[in-house]
Amino acid sequence: MEILSLLGSGFAIALTPENLFYCFVGSLVGTAIGVLPGLGPPATIALLLPVTYGIPATSAVILLAGIFYGAMYGGSTTSILLNIPGEAASVVTCLAAVGSFIAGTIGVLGLMLLAPPLASFALKFGAPENAALLILGLLMVGYLGGASMTKGLMMAAVGLLLGSVGLDPIQGTPRFTYGVFKLSEGFDFVLVAMGLFGIGEVLANVEQKEEPEVITTKIGGLLATREEWKAAAAPMARGSLLGFIIGVLPGGGAIISSFVSYALEKRFSRHPERFGKGAIEGVAAPEAANNGAASSSFIPLLTLGIPGNASIALIFAALLIHGIRPGPLLVAQQPQLFWGLIASMYIGNVMLLVLNLPLIRVWVRLLQVPYGLLAPFIVVFVLVGAYSVNNSAFDVGVAVAFGVIGYGLRKLDFEPAPLVLAMILGPQLEASVRRALIFSRGDVFIFFERPIAAVLMALAVLMLLSPLARWALSRKFWEIVGPVRAEK
Amino acid sequence: MTRDIAAVALGLAVAALALSEALGLPIGTLRSPGQGFFPLWLGVLLLALSLVLLAQTLRARAAARPRDDSRIGQVVGLVAALAVYTAVLEAIGYPIATFFLVLYMVKITHPQRWPLALGISLLAAGGSYLLFAVWLKVPLPPGSWRS
Repeated sequence: MEILSLLGSGFAIALTPENLFYCFVGSLVGTAIGVLPGLGPPATIALLLPVTYGIPATSAVILLAGIFYGAMYGGSTTSILLNIPGEAASVVTCLAAVGSFIAGTIGVLGLMLLAPPLASFALKFGAPENAALLILGLLMVGYLGGASMTKGLMMAAVGLLLGSVGLDPIQGTPRFTYGVFKLSEGFDFVLVAMGLFGIGEVLANVEQKEEPEVITTKIGGLLATREEWKAAAAPMARGSLLGFIIGVLPGGGAIISSFVSYALEKRFSRHPERFGKGAIEGVAAPEAANNGAASSSFIPLLTLGIPGNASIALIFAALLIHGIRPGPLLVAQQPQLFWGLIASMYIGNVMLLVLNLPLIRVWVRLLQVPYGLLAPFIVVFVLVGAYSVNNSAFDVGVAVAFGVIGYGLRKLDFEPAPLVLAMILGPQLEASVRRALIFSRGDVFIFFERPIAAVLMALAVLMLLSPLARWALSRKFWEIVGPVRAEK
Repeated sequence: MTRDIAAVALGLAVAALALSEALGLPIGTLRSPGQGFFPLWLGVLLLALSLVLLAQTLRARAAARPRDDSRIGQVVGLVAALAVYTAVLEAIGYPIATFFLVLYMVKITHPQRWPLALGISLLAAGGSYLLFAVWLKVPLPPGSWRS
C-alpha cells in the first residue's frame, strides 16, 4: 500500500528529535493557552510566528499545528472545571481527554485519506473555479462565523479591501500606499493578526470587571467506571463525526462544532434535563467534536489553499513566509511537509493524552493565576513579536493600532476572524477574478458556465438566499444552545 | 441598537473611502479590469451590506444590552501607555520602556501590591530581554542613550 509507505516516511520526519521537540512544545503551549482564559489560539500562533522564521517549514507547521489542536484539549479542561462542580469533574475531564484523543486521531485519519484525492481533484481548477471557491469560502466564513451574517460579510469586505493595499496582483504596481514605502508590500498580516487578536483581546479584557473564578473542584480519582465509559462511547463517536464534517467547512471550526454537537445531543437525549449538570454525553460529544474539527480544518488548507479559521490562516501565513503556497500542489510537491505533519498529529494526540491526564493538577493551578498578572506577559510577547518581524519600532505601532481597531470592532459586535481570512485571501481572489474576466473577454457568465464553477456559485447563491431559513432555524437552535453559552 | 447604528456608520465610512479611492485609479473594463476594478466593487458591496445592516437594525428594535463603560478609562489609559511605549522604545531602550509599561499595567490597569508589582515588572522586562535579546538574538533596542 502506497499510503502506508508515505505515512512511514512521514513518521521518519516527525520522529526526528527536533520535530518531536517542536510537536511537544506545540502541544504543551497549546494546552496551557487553552486552559488559560484571555489568550486564544490565533493570538498565540501570531505571537510565535516570528520564532518559526528560523526553523524549517515542516518543523514550523508541526509546532503551530500542535498549538492549535493542543488548545482544544486545554479548553476542554477549563470548561469542565469551571462548569461541573465537585468530584465528578475529574472523571469527566478524563473522559473528555480520552474522547478528544479518539476524535483527534479519527480526524487525522480522515485528513490523511481525504486530502490527497481532494487535492488531485482541485488540480483541475482554473481561474474561474478558484474565484468561485474563494467566494463560496468567504461567504461561509461570514455565514457561520458569528451571530450576524451581515456583520460577518462586512468584515470580509473590509478584509478584502485591506488585502488590496500594496502591489496590484496582476500588474504589480502599487496602490493605496499614500507614498508610505512600507505599505508597498501591503499590511503585514502577522502584525494585523497580533494586533487584532493579541492586543485587542487584552484591551477587551481590561474593560471587564475582574471576577476571579473560584475553582473549588478537588481532583479526585480519574478513572471512570465501566458504566461511564459505556455512556460516553456513542456520544464520542457522534461528536467525532459531526466535528470532522463541520471542521471541513470554512468558518465552521471548533467552537461552532461543539455547540452544534451539544445541541444535537440534548435534542435527541431521553434525559435532556440532566444537561448542564454534568451529563456525560453533554461533555463527551462536544469535546470530541471540537477535536475532530481541529484535525479536519487542515483539509481545506492543505488541498485547496483556503484557511477556514483564524488559527489556520496564521499557519497559512507561516507557510507563505517559508515560500510555500498552500494549495492543490502541496501534497505532491511538499510530501515531506504533508506526511510529516500528518504523522506529527498522530504523535501529538498521544502526547496530549499523556500530558492531560497526570498533569491536570498543574493545569488547575495555572487556572488560578489572576488575569491581571497574565496580561502584562501577553502584551510583552505581542510587542516583542511585532518588533521582531522587521526589527522596527514602526511595526510595534502598527500592531498597537490594529489592537485598538480590534477592540473597537469587538465593541461593535464585529468578529475579527472574517477580516483576517479575507485579508489573506484577497490578492488570490482578485487575481482569479481578473484572470477569468481577461480569459473570457469580459463575459461574467464564465463563472456559471464551467461545471465545477457553476456548482460552487450555485451553492454561494443558495447560501446568500438562505438567511430567512437560517433565521427560522437559529431561534430554535439558540434556544437549545443558549444555556451553554451562558455557562461559558 | 446604538452599537449597530455605529457599526452601520463605520461600514458606510469605510465604503465611502474605498469608493473615492478606487475611483481615483484606472477602473478598466470587464474585458480588461484595471487596478481600481476590484476595490470599486468591494466598496459597492460594503455599501450594500451596510444598508442591509441598517435595515435590519431599524426593523429589529432589539432591547438595548446593558453597557458597562465603567472601565473605559482604563482602556484609554492603556492605549495611551502603549502609544508612549512605541514612541520612546528606540530612545530609552527595550528593558526600561518595558519595565515601566508593565509597571503601569500592574499598578493602574490591574492594581497589585507594590512588592508584587515591582517583582512582575522586573521579571517581565528582564526575563523577556534575556529570553529574546540574549538567547534568541532578537535585536531589541538597548536604548540610544547607551551609545
